Amino acid sequence: MAELVQLVERGIELVHAGDRADLRRRLESTRGRLLDAAIRVIVVGEFKQGKSQLINALVNAPVCPVDDDIATSVPTVVRYGEQPSAVLVVPRDADPAADGGPALERQPVDLADIASYVSEKGNPGNERRLVAAEVSLPRKVLAGGLSLVDSPGVGGLDSAHSLTTLTALPTADAMLLVSDASQEYTEPEIRFLRQALRVSPNIGCVLTKTDLYPQWRRVAELDRVHLDRVRPGIPLIPVSSDLRLHAARLKDNELNAESGFPALVAYLRSNILGSAERLQRRSVAQDLLSITEHLRLSLTSELGALEDPERTPLMIAGLEAAKERADEQRRRSARWQVTLNDGISDLIADMEYDLRDRLRRIQREAEQAIDEGDPGPTWDQFAQWLEQRVASAVSDTFVWTSERSAWLAEQVAEHFQQDEVRLPVLSVSDTQDVLSPVEKVPTLDPGRVGPLQKVLIGMRGSYGGVLMFGLLTGIVGMSLINPFSVGAGLLLGRKAYREDKEARLKRRQGEAKALVRRQIDDVVFQVGKELKDRLRLIQRATRDHFSEIAEEHHRSLGDSVVAAQKAAATYALEREQRMQQIRAELKRVDALHAEARALEGDPAAARP
Amino acid sequence: MTDGVGAAVAALVRDAQEVYGADPAALAVLSGYDRRLREPLRVAVAGMVKAGKSTLLNAVIGEEIAPTDTGECTRVITWYRHGDTPRVTLHPLDGAPRALPVRRVEGRLQLDLGGTPAEEVDRLVVEWPARALRDLTLIDTPGIASLSREVSARSLGFLTPGDAPSEADALIYLMRHLHASDLGFLESFQDTAAGQSGTVNALAVLSRADEVGAGRIDALLAAREVAARYRNDAGLRRLALGVVPVAGLLAQSARTLRQSEFAALAALARLERGDRERLLLSADRFVREDAPGGVPAGERAVLLERFGLFGVRLACVLLGGGIGEPTALARELARRSGLDDILRALSGQFQARAAQLKARNVLIGVDALVRARPRPGTAALAASIERILAGAHEYRELRLLGVLHTGGVALTPDLAADAERLIGGSGVAPARRLGLRRDAPADQVRTEAVLQLRRWRAVAENPLTDRSALELCQTVIRSCEALLADTAQEPAAPL
Repeated sequence: MAELVQLVERGIELVHAGDRADLRRRLESTRGRLLDAAIRVIVVGEFKQGKSQLINALVNAPVCPVDDDIATSVPTVVRYGEQPSAVLVVPRDADPAADGGPALERQPVDLADIASYVSEKGNPGNERRLVAAEVSLPRKVLAGGLSLVDSPGVGGLDSAHSLTTLTALPTADAMLLVSDASQEYTEPEIRFLRQALRVSPNIGCVLTKTDLYPQWRRVAELDRVHLDRVRPGIPLIPVSSDLRLHAARLKDNELNAESGFPALVAYLRSNILGSAERLQRRSVAQDLLSITEHLRLSLTSELGALEDPERTPLMIAGLEAAKERADEQRRRSARWQVTLNDGISDLIADMEYDLRDRLRRIQREAEQAIDEGDPGPTWDQFAQWLEQRVASAVSDTFVWTSERSAWLAEQVAEHFQQDEVRLPVLSVSDTQDVLSPVEKVPTLDPGRVGPLQKVLIGMRGSYGGVLMFGLLTGIVGMSLINPFSVGAGLLLGRKAYREDKEARLKRRQGEAKALVRRQIDDVVFQVGKELKDRLRLIQRATRDHFSEIAEEHHRSLGDSVVAAQKAAATYALEREQRMQQIRAELKRVDALHAEARALEGDPAAARP
Repeated sequence: MTDGVGAAVAALVRDAQEVYGADPAALAVLSGYDRRLREPLRVAVAGMVKAGKSTLLNAVIGEEIAPTDTGECTRVITWYRHGDTPRVTLHPLDGAPRALPVRRVEGRLQLDLGGTPAEEVDRLVVEWPARALRDLTLIDTPGIASLSREVSARSLGFLTPGDAPSEADALIYLMRHLHASDLGFLESFQDTAAGQSGTVNALAVLSRADEVGAGRIDALLAAREVAARYRNDAGLRRLALGVVPVAGLLAQSARTLRQSEFAALAALARLERGDRERLLLSADRFVREDAPGGVPAGERAVLLERFGLFGVRLACVLLGGGIGEPTALARELARRSGLDDILRALSGQFQARAAQLKARNVLIGVDALVRARPRPGTAALAASIERILAGAHEYRELRLLGVLHTGGVALTPDLAADAERLIGGSGVAPARRLGLRRDAPADQVRTEAVLQLRRWRAVAENPLTDRSALELCQTVIRSCEALLADTAQEPAAPL
């Protein structure tokens, strides 16, 4: 990484000399990206497969709580830091919009206490509402920007967990699917794997607890077959966390080798870190290549004019023609912009339709469920179900939108008739806080009626009966309260009570439906707004990105023309000097160009 | 009091046979029910793939007959019933049943379908001269949530048929940890088999309990805690009579411990502590060629396969702790594996209620038949079905057990727990109902029953008792009265 930064800095120096602010901005952003490299590897799997223990064994420290019962309830991030420390990320209590700051707050805690915050025991069902915990450790494994994310297990009773994990996936660069050696993959695991592959293609599988199961080799073979059926080439690494921890305690290298961890570490290094680095390398190389091309163009044209003053007008004419062409291309920008604008408005319409369609299906299901029974007593479960379904629908829409927008960027890039146009970096699929402005589903009257109320309802009904029949029988000389009037009162009271019960059920069902409708409306409103905002951001980012490319091209040509014209008017003495200067500069540019080319061409050889 | 329902249902089936005298299809179904009433109770063993169903089945039978494997193994529904000579019969979906050769390799049965694809097999029936099968027919089913969907579908179709009563009278459900798909399955089993009468007839088993704590020596204690949590889980409580942790592999092997294995285990236990711990660090180390201890690597591999790492660790500790002979070791291993608990639950919850459980499924079946094929005389049948369902105290007990498990009764927790025990929540033997020791003398049982009867009468008469709890109180009173009646009839009977 360091050498990449050095290269970019050399590029910046060169650009500075040439005084091209636009190119410099680009290189500076590249440098920023390089310096802030973090590669998130999320560790997922069903519960009780040894995810937390795997991370503990990797960093050789008990940072993630391990228990015989379900342990992890909050995602924990383990990353490199000079000093061991821990931080909790909690949502800010105050209104996040009020001060415009981030809605999350970071609270430092003692590293030893971290288990009590993130475990199911200390924090059942995440009642402290933690968003995440972050642990920093000075470990060699983590150097290079690797951060490991321990996630709560999926497939449990609480499908909300698996949803959290799925929504966290798009932010991760790679994923480790953990399954223990007691048995081959089950259907839910493979289903999760397929789902995850759509979101994050960089997936490795880990087979844990090989110390406990003598037949782990058989299981590994069986798993291999299942994996190949999903997609060939997914690596499967058998490990034993317990052996690794033992090995660390006893300082036993042989045991460490037996634990299988060296292979896992090598995989993390070469494949995950390596592929992230290769991506970085490619983009840096491309940036440097295009920038050196730009610089060289103006330098060579100036040099040409200086060396051969007679042909200057011809060269200028050639350059003017090129500039004309570039202008043409800029004008053609109209065409790519039309593609972009049309694409975005199509995308907004499609996505709104998609979101509404998904939510309407949920609404229909919900209303059917409400009609089938009394929603009062089961409202809590119902509201939970509704929230989960909505969250998963929204996350689906976001993933879909992200796929579509990447496709759109490619469409736009096709308008540029260059060999390779950089594509903008887009990210919309992160659904972290999308649903937070939506209020929780409000509570519904559970429909329980106290005994006193029951009596009152009955009395209210019977009152008329007693009075009516009492008066009627009064004609024949009976008192107001007599067996007939009381009997009539009882009958009418019962009828009134039953009717009242029915009416209350109807009312509750109506109320519940209204609540569902309002909730869905709210979601459509908030999420629609958020999606539209993001798509607009994408549109803007894409537009800026491509117009910048066009602009750079135009400016380079313009600069060359000016330089050539200036050269024609230069005195002979100065000419010699200037030629030397340019030659020296060209040499440096060429050197950088060659290095960038090497970087791109053969990443393996250039690895530190 | 157990004969009542059984006899009534048997009479009902006979009546139905007369009514449907001219309908051979219905007659065939009815004679099937008649047979079913006379056969032992059918208990299905179900669960997710690799939950250890076949292993547990072997442990219950006490012999290693059901084949087990690391990969998914059971692909066909297999019935294990009692027979004087070993015999395996294959029942294809269509065609006549045919006998398969009985072949055993190292004690285990080799179930070779003889070229018939698994999809075309309705079931395999294994008849085996095992004592445990005398009053229990066990049904091994392929795992649910399997990657081969049609295998799972076969299990689901068998256990939860849409239109007929389930072939199984009761269910042992194995799970390793409570998954959402476990609950879904239990719900649908309850829906079909018992939905109409609203009772609970499944026992949940936390299987492979030795793996809960990653093979530590106290793993089973940890498993007990986990099981206790599941027992109180609202979702599971209303579906299962209880949750029992079992280390299936250990239970199976403990029941079939061989002398050579005992000798090998004893040799391992005699090793230096440090050496032994290093040896038992991982499965791979345990079967290494150059390990100390004087036990050949091949023998160690067999030990590992039969007992698991946890089993070997536990056996070494037990042997070191003073147990010196094979029978005692086997008994202790079986006790620790949780096998006794599950056998007790089987006999207390299922076998003691066998007549009712069988009768209920038959009732549902006859009811469906009567509804589907009405003819003169069926009205009377329907009436007697309703009479049996409404009148049988046993069903009321079972139904109330379901209600109690859902927590839908307005009683204090103490009272609710007592009520659950009295109506047979932890077993139907009088002493168990009253919470006495198993060998409590008859007059103690009687005094306690009288005490409980008085107490519950008081609760029932208390005006502050919620109306919804009254039905329960009356059922409990009726159960107490039945207890008294039973003890009065046979005062000398050992309880």
